[in-house]
Amino acid sequence: MNASGEPSTTAPPAVGSGGDAALVARLAARDSAALREVISQHGGVLHRIAYRMTGDAHEAEDIVQEAMLRLWDHAPKIAARHPVGSQAAGALKLGGWLQRVVTNLAIDRLRRARRLSGEEVPDAEDEAPLADALIESGERDRSARALIAALPERQRAAIVLTYYEELSNAAAAEALDMNIKAFESLLLRARTALRKAFADGAEGGSA
Amino acid sequence: MSVDDIIPGSPLARALDGYPVPGLSPDFADRIVGAAEARPASLPDLRRPAPVRGWRLGRRVMVGAACFGALATAAAATGVLERFDIPVPSAEKVWASITGKETPEVVAPVAAQPTQAAATTIAPVTIDGPIDTPEELGEAFRRIDEVRQGRSEVRRQVIDQRIDKAIERRRAAGLPVPDAEQEARLRQRIDEAQARRQQLADERVQLRREEMARKVESGEALTREDVLRPLAEDARALQRRERLERLRRMTPAERRAALRQLPPEQRRALIEEYRALRNQQSDPASPDAEAAAEATAPAVQTAPADE
Repeated sequence: MNASGEPSTTAPPAVGSGGDAALVARLAARDSAALREVISQHGGVLHRIAYRMTGDAHEAEDIVQEAMLRLWDHAPKIAARHPVGSQAAGALKLGGWLQRVVTNLAIDRLRRARRLSGEEVPDAEDEAPLADALIESGERDRSARALIAALPERQRAAIVLTYYEELSNAAAAEALDMNIKAFESLLLRARTALRKAFADGAEGGSA
Repeated sequence: MSVDDIIPGSPLARALDGYPVPGLSPDFADRIVGAAEARPASLPDLRRPAPVRGWRLGRRVMVGAACFGALATAAAATGVLERFDIPVPSAEKVWASITGKETPEVVAPVAAQPTQAAATTIAPVTIDGPIDTPEELGEAFRRIDEVRQGRSEVRRQVIDQRIDKAIERRRAAGLPVPDAEQEARLRQRIDEAQARRQQLADERVQLRREEMARKVESGEALTREDVLRPLAEDARALQRRERLERLRRMTPAERRAALRQLPPEQRRALIEEYRALRNQQSDPASPDAEAAAEATAPAVQTAPADE
């Protein structure tokens, strides 16, 4: 179970040893059914990561789509490096590869948006009619989103990967292309910043 | 769970949990598959595939070793290492140390020993002030004779060394070398030619000295330039003889071309002298023939005394 109450799909799907390699081999052979299989296996997780990183559903879908197309393009090379039946095939983790791509793409887009706007990306304004329930949930939603959005990109990615997607520190470090010690340091700073922002928000609300 | 983990159920966790994610669009997978199928095939790599890490490192090591070797070779060749007292073994020694075989000692060609003759510096004759008494003139002649004596000694040593070097060179090249008797005959012939040359020079010097002595006795003061003046006529004659010798060694066509390049006056004088020399050589009984033969002999040409 993940933080949003959805069933966690972070756990590797039920594929045998070298299952990812076989899938990639089919992708390399331009099998679109294999691509659909990959989307059904990893699309949800990747979308959640991208959405919580960017706070924008359309942006998140774009990121996931780009990651999937990159996989489609790189499949021949990945398949060549991890031939089915070899020892290298067992070491291939397609989910990890895709998470790394999505995380990097999200960080890139956040940085690009900040460079263009010169400040934090503004939250999308909700123009839907507000019922009381919607008001309450929307405020809660905005509160959580604001807490995450206040973090720098890499700290945000650390929280999203470890808290929301319940990745181990090692897997999250791999997704961020960091060594484990550096990632743990980053995660500590992210949690500290999150607590401070939450405490500040609580004091502001009670004042 | 570590101390700094976000504890489930805590206010912070509850706040974070309120961040629902909208679902993917219903046609999300179709859009991606459509985009993938419409995507053109990726272009082949422009660059060669990156080599594996191990070989990349090995190549760097090899390039570094090659550079070091080139620098070390250049340093050894230019003698930089020897300047820092780093011994550089020869290739033969290195090969012998590898194979364990004794290499035949290579007999180095006889190096030109720094000759004593060359090292001997003959102090030039110094004459200060005018010479106006027979005693002073005699003293000047004595000093000049010392220098001439030293110079002829030097010439003799140079001749000996040249003969030795020529024999060594022929021996190293595997050419026949003269035996002791032939060598002695050669040396004797050269000595005789030298003696004749010396005698001629002595006669000329004697004539000049008598002339200078007469001038001093008549009260005329001689300067340093008068005493040490070179025999200009002798010098010119020697030059002509050398030039004749060069011409004699040329082919007729080369000789004609060389003569054509000379000024007409010099050309005529040279031709006259050449004819005279040829006539003298054709009459070996005449005393001038000996002098001519001496002039064209391949002995060391001695410069006229600087008197």
